[in-house]
Amino acid sequence: MLATLSMVARSLARKKNRTIIIIVALTFALTLITVLPSSINARQSLTQRALDSLIFSADLLKDQVTLSATEIECSYPITTTLSMSKGSSLLEDGTLIDIVLQDTMSASLSANIASLTDVVDVVPMRIEWRTESQLYNIYGIDINNDVFQKNPSILPSNITAGRNLQAGDRGVVVIDEFLAKNAMPDGKFETQEEYEANIAEWQAKEYVFNVGDSFEVLGRKFTVIGIEGDALNYRTNGVTMSLEDLQSITSNTGRVSSLKVFVNDADNVNSVVARIKALDSELVVSSGFTQLNTVQPLQDQVASLIVVAQNNLNHVRNIGLAEIGVSIVAVVSVILFMMLYSVRERTREIGTLKALGASTSRVLCQFMLEGILLSVVAVVIAIAVSVFVLPQLSSLILPVPIQEGVALAWDANGVMYLGRTTVGSMPFLSGEAPRVIDASLGVGWLLLSFGLAVVLGALGSLYPALKAARTKPAEAMRYE
Amino acid sequence: MNNTDLVLKIENLTKIYKLGKKNVTPLANLDLDVKQGEFVSVMGPSGSGKTTLLNIIGCIDRASEGRVFLNGTDITSFSESNLYKIRRDNIGFVFQSFNLLPYLNAMENVELAMELSGKFAGQRKARALELLSLVGLGGRELHRPARLSQGEQQRVAIARALANDPAVILADEPTGNLDVANKDEIIRLLLELNVKQGTTIIMVTHDEQVAAQTHRLLYLQGGKIVKDKQQKINVGILS
Ligand SMILES: Nc1ncnc2c1ncn2[C@@H]1O[C@H](COP(=O)(O)OP(=O)(O)O)[C@@H](O)[C@H]1O
Ligand SMILES: [Mg+2]
Repeated sequence: MLATLSMVARSLARKKNRTIIIIVALTFALTLITVLPSSINARQSLTQRALDSLIFSADLLKDQVTLSATEIECSYPITTTLSMSKGSSLLEDGTLIDIVLQDTMSASLSANIASLTDVVDVVPMRIEWRTESQLYNIYGIDINNDVFQKNPSILPSNITAGRNLQAGDRGVVVIDEFLAKNAMPDGKFETQEEYEANIAEWQAKEYVFNVGDSFEVLGRKFTVIGIEGDALNYRTNGVTMSLEDLQSITSNTGRVSSLKVFVNDADNVNSVVARIKALDSELVVSSGFTQLNTVQPLQDQVASLIVVAQNNLNHVRNIGLAEIGVSIVAVVSVILFMMLYSVRERTREIGTLKALGASTSRVLCQFMLEGILLSVVAVVIAIAVSVFVLPQLSSLILPVPIQEGVALAWDANGVMYLGRTTVGSMPFLSGEAPRVIDASLGVGWLLLSFGLAVVLGALGSLYPALKAARTKPAEAMRYE
Repeated sequence: MNNTDLVLKIENLTKIYKLGKKNVTPLANLDLDVKQGEFVSVMGPSGSGKTTLLNIIGCIDRASEGRVFLNGTDITSFSESNLYKIRRDNIGFVFQSFNLLPYLNAMENVELAMELSGKFAGQRKARALELLSLVGLGGRELHRPARLSQGEQQRVAIARALANDPAVILADEPTGNLDVANKDEIIRLLLELNVKQGTTIIMVTHDEQVAAQTHRLLYLQGGKIVKDKQQKINVGILS
């Protein structure tokens, strides 16, 4: 076998120019074969990232519809500013935080809305947004009547310890898990001495506050009755108490920040919205309908973008597969024609081999080995070339299915839109990403293309080698 | 005559080539015995079946009728796919145009014949060296055919033919491509092998002078041996 291989190598080396030309041609095709699968793969994962981002956006959009068909929500617009935290128990001094500013509504506005025709109930709610020193939101919920229970999104939704708020509760709070774990135990201890004596103990605890503990909010002591786990809505990082308690500790008796309005019939919602706006044009009034109306077109857009991304990927994949197909055909036919030519040219040599006593299988082996050797030399060069020029080559031979990332965004007025992203944020596509395809040639891909080259070399040389093997020994005697 | 002395025994050999509707019969009911150690020249006009006869003896063509015994073995009973073993182990071919593999050197060309019969590298090399020096090419072992003269190439071919100790050397016009000086050298080499090593040789030639130097001269015509003449060889030319 080794002797046969060296014979094969030497017969190739003898026709140096021809062999070089053939190897160059094979190297081209085999480089494509080496680079394309991982390039297709890279585009696939790029598209997958885009799809993940779109699906994430679709989920966000779904969460935007919080109201049912007969519900209306109104509040004054929110503005946020960035500020430095100071003296905070949760963050280091100087950490940048969002500060939310929102005007509050008077009790009379709430009463006016409640007295509108078609309005069944009004549930007031107050949110004391966090400040530089008070690093959590305080939610105040009207729990005097039972209406709040119609409205689960107002109450903490995921109680992991203790119980939720109920009608008539005073002086108690539900705190969220983050606060329970991280808040400074101000007010937990009566005196400075007690605090210092227990400092090591509370620092070691996972939960600083448990059900039954005292929790100080804006200088007033409350009892923790429940702990809220991860919340799906925007209630995270907060303390929830009765509306009256919150109004009392903030000296804002009678003022609320948002109202949830229940209408008797879905058909009357638009008219109620119009009448609320007539009472105060500053109010942001949204209904289940308006939420759907803003969300629906965006959802449609996301859905069609998902289809486009998928189609683009399929298209690119088909191009890649076609290129692989053409390369495979090229490799096989180059070897086929080269070897056919060689076998015909060397009829007398083959006849001589057989006259000397070479078996059919020995001749078959020798000529298949010749085709395989050509292919193997070419694929080794192709692999070396691929490793060095992969990124450039990858974008040259295969289009990139996605040029820009898309992500859900909000404008200054709080209106949602689908934005083209240029800077990557967590799950979204970066605008930079597609230009640098992170196709990588793992050992697996390289072995695959090496194996393929062996198979293609064998395939291309099979017919010529069979022809060689069937050559009659009498050919050795023929003199032209 | 003892039958076991016969290297070759041909009985009633007929060869028919079918060319469309026409049949060509280069050999018709031919009989021939060749003894161990004979040097036989075959002459005859072009197309008289000389090459065909050699091909059938050398197992690269098959008899249409009749039987051919090589060292007592009936080669006509072998299947096509097994004939290569007889060629490999019992026949040494010497061709008119040498047929050396151009990309192998002299040594490797000789070794090739032994590699085909599965001999080990060490054994092959020793034997190839020995044979090349026997044919007078000691020191030229690593030369490729392109760097050897035609006479030297034919010597390599003869060394190759001897490599597996064949029963018979078949040479089809081995001097046909050579100039006078080289022709004499090759004939002298074959004679020397025949006389000193006892090699059995059957050689087709057009050259009466060449033929005149062998033991036996066959004349083929019309598919038959029309003349079978024993000759005295002039061993003097070997000195
Ligand atoms: N393979 C073949 N097919 C058909 N006819 C052949 C074949 N080989 C030889 N012949 C014919 O057989 C005859 C004898 O040929 P050959 O043995 O080559 O003659 P020689 O060697 O004496 O010149 C010629 O007529 C030739 O045309
Ligand atoms: Mg002839």
